[in-house]
Amino acid sequence: MSAPIYLDHAATTPVRPEVLEAMLPFFGPRFGNPSSMHRWGRDARTALDEARERVARCLGANPDEICFTSGGTEADNIAILGAWRVRRHEGRNAIVSTPIEHKAVLGAVHQAAHEGADERLCDVSKLGVVDCDSFATLLRDDTAIASVMWINNEIGTVQPVAELAQLAKAKGALFHTDGVQAFGKIPIDAKAIPFDVLSVSGHKIGAPKGIGAVFIRRGTMIEPLFHGGTQDRGRRPGTENVAATIGFARAAELALAEREEEWNRLERLRNRLEEAILARVPDATVHGRGAPQRAPHILNVSVPGTDSESMLMALDLRGIACSAGSACQSGSISPSHVLSAMGVSPELASAAIRMSLGSLSTDASIDRVAEVFSALVAKARGAAPVAS
Amino acid sequence: MKERVLVAMSGGVDSSVAAAMLVEQGYDVVGATMKLFCHEGDLPDRPCCSLDSVNDARRVCQSLGVPHYVLNLESAFGRDVVDDFVQEYASGRTPIPCVRCNTFTKFRDLLVKADAIDATWIATGHYARTIDGELRRGLDRTKDQSYFLWGIDRSVLRRMLLPVGAQTKLETRTVAHRLGLEVIAEKVESQDICFVPDGDHTKIIRQRLGDDAPALSRGPFVLSNGSTVGTHDGFARFTIGQRRGLPGGFREPMFVVDIRPRDRAVVIGPREELLGRGVVARAINWLVDAPGVGSRLSIQIRHRAAPARAEIVRVDGDEIELALDEPVAAITPGQSLVMYDGDRVLGGGLIERGTRASLPILAA
Repeated sequence: MSAPIYLDHAATTPVRPEVLEAMLPFFGPRFGNPSSMHRWGRDARTALDEARERVARCLGANPDEICFTSGGTEADNIAILGAWRVRRHEGRNAIVSTPIEHKAVLGAVHQAAHEGADERLCDVSKLGVVDCDSFATLLRDDTAIASVMWINNEIGTVQPVAELAQLAKAKGALFHTDGVQAFGKIPIDAKAIPFDVLSVSGHKIGAPKGIGAVFIRRGTMIEPLFHGGTQDRGRRPGTENVAATIGFARAAELALAEREEEWNRLERLRNRLEEAILARVPDATVHGRGAPQRAPHILNVSVPGTDSESMLMALDLRGIACSAGSACQSGSISPSHVLSAMGVSPELASAAIRMSLGSLSTDASIDRVAEVFSALVAKARGAAPVAS
Repeated sequence: MKERVLVAMSGGVDSSVAAAMLVEQGYDVVGATMKLFCHEGDLPDRPCCSLDSVNDARRVCQSLGVPHYVLNLESAFGRDVVDDFVQEYASGRTPIPCVRCNTFTKFRDLLVKADAIDATWIATGHYARTIDGELRRGLDRTKDQSYFLWGIDRSVLRRMLLPVGAQTKLETRTVAHRLGLEVIAEKVESQDICFVPDGDHTKIIRQRLGDDAPALSRGPFVLSNGSTVGTHDGFARFTIGQRRGLPGGFREPMFVVDIRPRDRAVVIGPREELLGRGVVARAINWLVDAPGVGSRLSIQIRHRAAPARAEIVRVDGDEIELALDEPVAAITPGQSLVMYDGDRVLGGGLIERGTRASLPILAA
């Protein structure tokens, strides 16, 4: 078998060597607790403060607006539940979101609804883009927070967050955006777009798993999820993961420095993959194709007459790592809620394969994927077996 | 390396050892755990399909160094197995969901997955054997599971590997220890139906059909002479031959001898009314060339029953009628009729009814 091909960068990415190097001292001599008053503590505190400043700079934010979390899921939960739990007492009990959010947002919204919130999910187009009119209709004076992701993690469509944020603000609602897939891909500037809360994650951009951040605009009240310490202004008690914050800051800087070049490279590769697949499998559906703006690194494709599960296994056993839909606790795949919300038929939704490109993607790997994928499709549809 | 084999792994000792033995034999093993149903919230450990079972299967595959996948067969299983299970009870019958799971889920739907990954073989931890394209009983007669396998397509037999079928359960556990599979080596054996929480099958009937389902509603206990002798809380709680939960006060032990959904009646009677001299079965599936009328063979009308000698007296499409040499007790509609020649499984079908006459009742 030829060298395995990793095509699941939207799931996670390898830690960059520069990031690992930056973190190492904090697993060694610089091990202090940033809350300690002694020299070890001071040293760790310095590092943490610097990391916070660097991440803030990457987002056009002030350092005090950056709260480090364990990752995107925690950031989303802090944003949704934290904001709603404050504002529900101010006559704002509703949460407006979309049916194509990451489960971290949807789960938090459902939890709020379970606790009494009025949950409203707006319409999305067949191309996987939020319908601004529908969104606007759901926003009322009772809305605590509205949450729309920046880039959809399954199909890569870019959502009109600037416009949506304006709509939310006009109704006095807070606006949160899950920027986990957007960070490092799209310029994020807190000064340019009036989002109040933003989630980002480290491991999608070459930092380790277990680190992320939530931007909380000055003046925005958020009830903490955790209790028991004063770290991070009490917004996120618990001893900070100093090493990971350093790694996150480094990864963020690298990603931003390379952003445009990497966008162009990935877009070219993604288009090459998409065109190769469509040329060999003309009836394949590329979800979100034709949307006003697409992220460069995600290709989600369904071929009639195939199923995700079999394709993913067959690809994996040939060394190609992709994903599909959302995995449940047991690891089994269910049809994607995103595709369902877009009105994709259950048959086509259950055939979806998400290929996501990144640092490990090359022309050669892309060509091989296109070839193997098309051969597996032919086989699944009853043509001759594929030679291994 | 030998050909690829897809092993259906429940996380239990039998399928784990099956996978381990195939690895030892040099096969290119791919493990798969089927997710067949989803209990809202997590129940305490279920014998199969629960998260813990998936995790156990995954751990075993990790220690064997083979890939493991979780396959979502929930909707097909719900349709082919659970729906049928509920319908059968609602019709006054006593189904065996494991038979349909083997027929449709494991050896049909999973086979499609095997095809997708170019697996020549499909393997399970069943105590049965396949020899030259024929199905045989497991060598350990106390563990033999061939009774549950009659429904699979005959052509699949040549693709099946049943590695533990040639050994005893004790040997299986010994192999588990020898291979260091301590996670699962002493796991308690599953006896329950995997999708039935805490062994109460009426819960799932209620879930599907509602609280006022006739099968779960009050009805009469009657004698075969028609007299009513009490009331019960739903005929789905009863099966032919059952003694528990019947009205008392009779001179001899009483058994359920019939279930009549049309008037919700549970008919009870003494042991002699339980005896059948013949059996009619439908949906017959042959695993050998079909024997004709007059063929003599042995049959089993329930798991672990002693084989009984019988003769085929009528074949009508996929329906069959057999005459028994000696009467057999509690021939239960919905259970399986499996036909054997010694260790060879000839075929099977679903029991439609027992007959009390020893000769076929010819259609007028």
